[in-house]
Amino acid sequence: MLSHRNVEHRNQGGSSKRDGTGGQHAEDVVRSSGKDKDSRRKEIEKEDIDLENVDYMANFEDDFEDYEDDFEVCDDDSTNEPEPREKMEELPPARKKEIQEIQNAINAENERIGELSSKLFQKQGRPEREREPGADANSSPSRAPVCGIFVDFATASQRQKSRTQALKQKTRSTKLLRLIDLDFSFTFSFLDLPPVNEYDMYIRNFGRKNTKQAYVQCNEGTVERDIQTEEMETREAWTQHPGEGAAVSGGSESREPSDAAAVPKVDTLRLSSFLRAACQVVAVLLEEDRVAAAPSRDPGAQDSTLPLSDSAWQLNTSLPFLQHRNVSSLHASPAQRQVVSVHGLPDQACAPPLDRRHLLCVWDIWQPSGPQKVLVCESQVTCCCLSPFKAFLLFAGTVHGSVIVWDLREDSRMHRYVKLSDCFWTFRTATFSTDGVLTPVNHRSPLQAIEPVAASGHRKQSFVLSPFSAQEEMSGLSFHIASLDESGVLNVWVVVELPKADLAGSISDLGLIPGGRIKLVHSSVTRLSDSLSHKGDGRWGAAQTLNVKFLPSDPNHFIVGTNMGFVGHGSRQDLRVFPRFFKPQQHGERPVKVTAVDFSPFGEPAFLAGCCDGSIRLHQLASERPVLQWGLGTAGRAVTGLQWSPTRPAVFFVQDDTSCIYIWDLLKSDLGPVAKQPISPDRLVAMAVVGEPERTSGGFLALVLARASGHMDVQFLKRKWATPVADEQRRLRLLLQKAL
Amino acid sequence: MTSSGAVSVSVGASVSGTEGTLEADKISGKSENTYILRPVFQQRFRPSVVKDCIHAVLKEELATSEYSPEETPLLTKRLSETIKDKLKAMGFDRYKMVVQVVIGEQRGEGVFMAARCFWDADTDNYIHDVFMNDSLFCVVAAFGCFYY
Repeated sequence: MLSHRNVEHRNQGGSSKRDGTGGQHAEDVVRSSGKDKDSRRKEIEKEDIDLENVDYMANFEDDFEDYEDDFEVCDDDSTNEPEPREKMEELPPARKKEIQEIQNAINAENERIGELSSKLFQKQGRPEREREPGADANSSPSRAPVCGIFVDFATASQRQKSRTQALKQKTRSTKLLRLIDLDFSFTFSFLDLPPVNEYDMYIRNFGRKNTKQAYVQCNEGTVERDIQTEEMETREAWTQHPGEGAAVSGGSESREPSDAAAVPKVDTLRLSSFLRAACQVVAVLLEEDRVAAAPSRDPGAQDSTLPLSDSAWQLNTSLPFLQHRNVSSLHASPAQRQVVSVHGLPDQACAPPLDRRHLLCVWDIWQPSGPQKVLVCESQVTCCCLSPFKAFLLFAGTVHGSVIVWDLREDSRMHRYVKLSDCFWTFRTATFSTDGVLTPVNHRSPLQAIEPVAASGHRKQSFVLSPFSAQEEMSGLSFHIASLDESGVLNVWVVVELPKADLAGSISDLGLIPGGRIKLVHSSVTRLSDSLSHKGDGRWGAAQTLNVKFLPSDPNHFIVGTNMGFVGHGSRQDLRVFPRFFKPQQHGERPVKVTAVDFSPFGEPAFLAGCCDGSIRLHQLASERPVLQWGLGTAGRAVTGLQWSPTRPAVFFVQDDTSCIYIWDLLKSDLGPVAKQPISPDRLVAMAVVGEPERTSGGFLALVLARASGHMDVQFLKRKWATPVADEQRRLRLLLQKAL
Repeated sequence: MTSSGAVSVSVGASVSGTEGTLEADKISGKSENTYILRPVFQQRFRPSVVKDCIHAVLKEELATSEYSPEETPLLTKRLSETIKDKLKAMGFDRYKMVVQVVIGEQRGEGVFMAARCFWDADTDNYIHDVFMNDSLFCVVAAFGCFYY
């Protein structure tokens, strides 16, 4: 029945088109208007097709052409009719009623929306009527006779309006489509729900019957669990290139304390130089403490404290390179407490690099464990001296007539290392030597004395215009070196410090060690033999010069000890000086060597001269004859050493060749020594006096003694010899004036 | 009980448009440019805003609802009308909106819904939202096409 119904619909639709009838046509149009639809499955399908077909009237006609032929007129084809009718009869009455109801509902609905689509229907109806005006032969009476011959003005004007509108729209769309590009979009998937089969649903709810959700817990994912991984420390930092503005990098300001221990910037050069200096000082201090605290190292040694001294200690001469060597001389630095000991060749075989070398050791008396510096020299050293104010240069004169300089400041890496008994020792070679170079001006005979000539006499009195620049004075090089040889040639050398050390060596200065900075330049020469030979009647030959000393207050003046018993007086500028000679009280010439001369270090223009016949003379520069002379002070033994005390103006020390030490105190007695100390059994070879002149009270006075066995010890003299009495200098002056 | 065929689907669709300027043109009689090629920047169809709106509507209406064959057709119609009105109130000038609401019963069947459009991708856009509970699923698709 239903199928018949549908076919009828179609049929009617088709026929209505042809005939121009309204009702069923309206029906169709309703269905195809696309507004609300009834929910009938088969009808929906067909109505969809109808919807599409509403604008394609030709299709419509083509599709149902056949049907029309079949079912157009009920009485045309009688064969089909009984079938639908039979079908109608076959249906039960309840069904019939249902169908009837549905039909009524459809009709009612159609009428309801009939007005809405009347326009549409008329529009569509008109062209149909125009096309087939006479095809209304079989119009059923149920169709509403809307057709006719009347002119429908309303529709005409409506059509006109709609046509212009359509035209406008068409032009607009053509214009726009040129500017816009439309295309297909992606396929959007809205919902993808896979089918759930019954078993899954069953299982999902299995075992949960009779239960009710009682409790919901959210956030069950954050279960507390111990984690082994450590917290990562992060710090944010950023940088930008090219930078905009002032800040080109940055980061989070808060820093962890662990990484806030910023490494301080270290100036390694300064640090190393500081350490070098500081280590030395600390070593000395430690040693002082040790020596002071510990008992003397060699309690059974023969050179324990002399009766003259309060305390004493030994310098460690048992070092491998000092063994079997004799000490030939000692020299003490007047400014600092360094002592230089000159050692000769070893008696026994020694390590190859050292067995033919002479050694000089620079000691600090407060550090007896070993020398501070060890210097090597190829030729025998006859005399030496340290630079006056800052003892960083050591000058030595050799038996070959050469002057040698060691720069003690040099880096020890420049020199040779020798490993002796598991310890590395640095043996320093000379920085500059006049050996073989500067031959025209060099000495040709063994050097007898080498002395520094200071710029201005007293350090404190510097209103004398000094020939040295301020820089030289600051660097401690404001002095010349004077060297005297046997034949009376007095050379004065200038000490030059090169600004930069050249490790490759110098082409012009052949005597300079590669990497050295100190060199000597010959300044002037004075031939003393001429001036000295005027004196005397030539019976004994030319006088030999033995030593030279410069007046501390005026370095232009110097005195020269000769082997004829007199002391010559000279001046560097070759001016006439008076007196030219300082003779002993006895008249006449005697071949007595003046073995030692020494100026008073306290500024007095007086000097002492000791001779090999045991006589000691005290001269004042103004007069030829001595102020005081002692002939028997040493009981006739030759004076080998003579030195004023650096702490007390009226005290001096004498050493004679029988290994005795004499102490003279002019304020106590001007007739002879006030103390005498024989040194035995280890005979005394050389003696040097070390003291601190600046510290008037609490200063020390020490004698450094070198023994024949090669041992050296430092004797700290008793207080009475060390500490000056009140007003000593004035009293001494008075004494000297009285004696004149 | 589940049967593959017994699915009832309610489909509701509503269309709306704005055509004000055409009338004005007809009255004046002059032919001037009535089109603009791009929407005003502030009045583009912004999917995120629209999605929030749709989501709020769905949550409000469907939070406690169950599927029933009688009420669901009305529900879809009501939903689509509501959403369309809300979108119109949002102030997307010169945009034509199409809102499609599909509500179906969940009986274990599989559903796949897709759409494809032919439009100007620079100016037109769409948004869709899905709401599911034990008894029903609801898919809302809103398309906004710019009327040049």
